[in-house]
Amino acid sequence: MRVVAWVAAFVALAALPFFLGSYHNDVYRKLLLWVTLALGYNFLFGICGQVAFSHFAFYGIGAYGVVILLFQVGLPLPIAILLALLICVILALIVAIPATRLEGFYLALVTLALAQLFIVLLNEGGTVTGGAGGIANYRLPPIFGTRISGPAYTLVIVALLMLTLALLWRLDRSWFGRACRAVRDNPEAAAAMGVDVARTKVIAFTLTSALAGMAGMVYAFVDNTVNPPIFGLENAFLILFMVIVGGAGRHAGAIIGAVLLFLLPFWLSPVVGHHHQLIFGALVVAAILLWPKGLVGIWDRFSR
Amino acid sequence: MGPLLQVSRVTKRFGGLTAVSKLAFELRRGEILGVIGPNGAGKSTTFNIIAGTYAADEGEIRFDGESIAGMPPHQIARRGVMRTFQHNRPFEGMSVLENVLVGAHTRFGRNLFSRSAAAEEREQRAQAERLVEFVGLGELRTANVDRLSFGQGRLLEIARALAGAPKLILFDEPAAGLTRAEAERIATVIRGIAERGIAVLLIEHDMHFLLPLAHRVVVLNFGAKIAEGTSDEVRSHPAVLDAYLGHAAAV
Amino acid sequence: MQDFLELAVSATASGCIYGLMALAYLLMIRPTGIINFAVGEWAMVAAFGGHLLLSRWEWPYAAGMAVVILFMAILGSTTERIAVRPLVERGAPLLAPILALLGVLVVTREVISVSFPPDPMPVPFPFDIGRLELGPVGGSYQSFFIITVTALVFIGAWLFFEKTLWGKSFEAVALNRRAAALMGINLSRVTTLSFAGGAAVAGLAGLLVSPNVSAHYLMGVPLAIQGFTALVIGGVGRVEGAILGGLVLAFAEQLTARYAPIPSGFAQGVPLVFLMIFLLVRPTGLLKVRA
Repeated sequence: MRVVAWVAAFVALAALPFFLGSYHNDVYRKLLLWVTLALGYNFLFGICGQVAFSHFAFYGIGAYGVVILLFQVGLPLPIAILLALLICVILALIVAIPATRLEGFYLALVTLALAQLFIVLLNEGGTVTGGAGGIANYRLPPIFGTRISGPAYTLVIVALLMLTLALLWRLDRSWFGRACRAVRDNPEAAAAMGVDVARTKVIAFTLTSALAGMAGMVYAFVDNTVNPPIFGLENAFLILFMVIVGGAGRHAGAIIGAVLLFLLPFWLSPVVGHHHQLIFGALVVAAILLWPKGLVGIWDRFSR
Repeated sequence: MGPLLQVSRVTKRFGGLTAVSKLAFELRRGEILGVIGPNGAGKSTTFNIIAGTYAADEGEIRFDGESIAGMPPHQIARRGVMRTFQHNRPFEGMSVLENVLVGAHTRFGRNLFSRSAAAEEREQRAQAERLVEFVGLGELRTANVDRLSFGQGRLLEIARALAGAPKLILFDEPAAGLTRAEAERIATVIRGIAERGIAVLLIEHDMHFLLPLAHRVVVLNFGAKIAEGTSDEVRSHPAVLDAYLGHAAAV
Repeated sequence: MQDFLELAVSATASGCIYGLMALAYLLMIRPTGIINFAVGEWAMVAAFGGHLLLSRWEWPYAAGMAVVILFMAILGSTTERIAVRPLVERGAPLLAPILALLGVLVVTREVISVSFPPDPMPVPFPFDIGRLELGPVGGSYQSFFIITVTALVFIGAWLFFEKTLWGKSFEAVALNRRAAALMGINLSRVTTLSFAGGAAVAGLAGLLVSPNVSAHYLMGVPLAIQGFTALVIGGVGRVEGAILGGLVLAFAEQLTARYAPIPSGFAQGVPLVFLMIFLLVRPTGLLKVRA
């Protein structure tokens, strides 16, 4: 994409909150975060072919991490951010290095266990994690003397989204992205072409987990509260569903899937109440059976 | 200059079965070496040991002066040994050109974000296009690989292997499943490859395909080498005829 | 010592539940390679079925149990027909049905959640609540019932795989699909049967555990994870591995909760830690896979 397009997109996304009321602003910020997460997950699952359920666990480690390091350990903001990021990276490496030496689905299983374990630790974490109630009533410390909140904070989220997209876009088009796709499509042939399959998987997993962690840190100051249910398996499944329905392997697919599935409950709630999960599950099954390339695939077919 | 590939006393056992026993042969630059033998002779095992899929239990394999025994496939590829697969293994989600670009993986610098990275990508793309032309798939270069016929898929395997600028290409039964015309085309491509100074090792069942093509032939039976020489020498070698009893008529 | 024996009975009963869940996975993984996480939701459906038939409509226990299990078998084979068969026939990668089954998992849970009130629903015990003392060993009627039923199921499963033609054909398909098909084994029938069986066994587990814990629409995922952990511990190759894994897991869980100097909430983490350790260190499980 040209630089002009990127700038235009940034401006459009950043300007939008000024035209929305506060309720819609809240939805908008959450939507932007979900799109960010979906882009990262799409890289790991759609482009590199690795199934993992720890994306939201890393989101949570970033969120809880920065909050705990800031307000319980008392570190200054930049250090808290870097340290929380480092924790995400180290944990991702610990999980990925042994798991990727084994056959494909092992990473999925290990990350499933990790995700559940994270929730148990959060719930049982006593005063450190705030237990089942979580931690609330904190604020982002002033940066260079100013407090960033409201629409200005939305700018931060938009910046996060654009940076994530730019990074993943660039990677996708590089030899690394190609290596990831080769690992996805045929790991044995990829190795024969000189691709270090295990290392490629580890890098993809660690990178996307770190990105999820960063998104988590930004999330922590959106509602100024963190609690366990947000980071559980439910949402891990949901992000997978978003990517599948939207079209795995394409950035546009991740964006469409995230926007659709995030907004769907709002539009459907008069009809199905809280049970939108039912629609999601059905959509995923339908997508896998009928439109394996997702909504983006259908769009492609029509525009040809 | 020593031989490019040196296999010495290589032995491989699977449980109680000795698949390859004290195998030794050499291969020089620009040479086409054929490895033949009846079913179960150990050709595939030998191939996979050199390519790094299996590790030999005993013996040495030296490539360009370096020991590659026990190295994983991707490291062997980095050293200039590329291979094709008998049952075509394309990267299904990508176009023909993209597939060939994966073959060039080892040629890319590690830099992802520098200015030169974009130029490198363009250059590799141009080279990949030339390779796709060379094997005769030019028209299909942006097509997704699921549109290729079996024979075209085989050509893709070759283009992909060439993309790594290898010093040695291992062909795994390149004529298998092809029509006579397609096999002819492959043979021409392989000759062209050898003329460029790339060594070729090919295992093959089809004698009609292999004997006219290979400079030298190694014959295996029951995991051991029973003959070695030019195609003519091997064709009339008593041990070879004996091993192929019944197949001898075809030769 | 008395304390420990008490715990042993309770752990054995839990281990039986985990073992049944592991067996459910096994029945489907062996012939198809598909890991079906929806088994947890299947157990949940059966628990609600038990609530409906046995509690609300007050059917006799044996009849209710039989109908629920039969229903589960039908549910399992229907799931296979809809979500698995089209993908397998199309030659889709193994990942596709596994992910489709995740969708089924969510749909199943939501259907139950829509149909019943959100509170835990009671499921009656087959026998009056009471204790049984067998010498030094004592436990609730339910615990012994669970152990007995599980033992019967496992003996049946073992006999099925070892002695019957059907069981051997499962093994044949597990070892080499193409060869099995060439030998005349009807692949789709084996697959349907494996899913029906998996659902029935998972349903049985749900029925057996729910009198103690009540039927609740969130009970599926923990059971699915515990069952899977038991499977990994015991090794995916053999029926005996499933029950062994279940027992090892249950004992580890309860011994940790009882005797370890950590807060009780962390006991939930035990299956997860075990799962991670076994996956990373010893993925083939405790028993050697039959060659």
